[in-house]
Amino acid sequence: MNAAAYFVHAMAEENSEIARGLRRRDPDLLDRLIEQYQHRLLRYLLHLTGNPAMAEDLFQETWVRVLERGSHYDGRHEFSTWLFAVARHLFIDSTRRKHHASLDGMLDDNRPIEIPATGQPSAFDLTAQRELSERVTDGLTHLVAEYREALVLRFQEGLSLEEIAVVTGAPLGTVKSRIYRGLNALQPYLKGAQA
Amino acid sequence: MTGNVHERAQALIALGDAQLVSAADRTWLNRHIEECPACRDYASNTSDVIHALRSLPVAASSALVAATQLRVRLRAQELQRGQERLWLVWISCVLVTSSAGLTTLLAWRSWEWLGQRLQISNLTWQVCFVLIWMAPVLIGSLLLLARGTHLAEHTGTWEG
Repeated sequence: MNAAAYFVHAMAEENSEIARGLRRRDPDLLDRLIEQYQHRLLRYLLHLTGNPAMAEDLFQETWVRVLERGSHYDGRHEFSTWLFAVARHLFIDSTRRKHHASLDGMLDDNRPIEIPATGQPSAFDLTAQRELSERVTDGLTHLVAEYREALVLRFQEGLSLEEIAVVTGAPLGTVKSRIYRGLNALQPYLKGAQA
Repeated sequence: MTGNVHERAQALIALGDAQLVSAADRTWLNRHIEECPACRDYASNTSDVIHALRSLPVAASSALVAATQLRVRLRAQELQRGQERLWLVWISCVLVTSSAGLTTLLAWRSWEWLGQRLQISNLTWQVCFVLIWMAPVLIGSLLLLARGTHLAEHTGTWEG
């Protein structure tokens, strides 16, 4: 068995193990998953909602929903793909309650995303990188919600195009188009940083 | 045509890691980037954007994680208790159904014996049995129905 096949087999085995644990509603497994996926899920929710308080509420709701509906996870996809899909559905439900039908309802909503500071120490050699990150964060706030979501899932969470299609329920071509357009829309902000 | 070439190159750059672009596409893209300053700039900028996106600092606080874990554990216990209650309800239903079946059978035999002893016709004791055996259920149903109607009327008054 070569390395790639071994890796795929190991991942499939891990996903099956997670699926079995979720069916049992194993609290220890859930504790481990919460710790493992905490940053990725919160980052996704922050970019999706643009609101730290709402993101934190949805973060908790998502894990409760994972507990309740864990038997729906069949282990065929990556757990993270399913987790993001659950979070996305909860977000849409909550925005629907506020009279938005879907993410489309947020297309013109250009609220700034408030990313909480992580309290990392400042260092001279990180200044340029930080400035670039700030510009990109600023750019993200001005993106259409679907583009923002696609970029976050692709480049921050490292999901494949197929996985993004599963999470968002959009066709593969649409996902590609969103990433391409989203990156194009971010380019002017980067130029601002370089000027 | 030229515009299409640049668009194709930029689309490949945007989606471009090993799993997305074939070897032939990659060779073509590399050659194009060497020849085209605009696409080279685009590739460089895109790489910077992707790098910046990957390094955006967002971290969940330990308090949030702890609160979530606690909430999930409490909910798990609640679901566990609900599951146990459901089992009890199922077991009770099975026991009640079995006992009702057995009792009905015994009562039927007793009435049959009594009917023969008192020399009552089969039809008479059977009708009496059904009426008496069913009476509590019928009365209970009528009372529940009346109560339901009463509640519906009451709710309607409040809403109105």
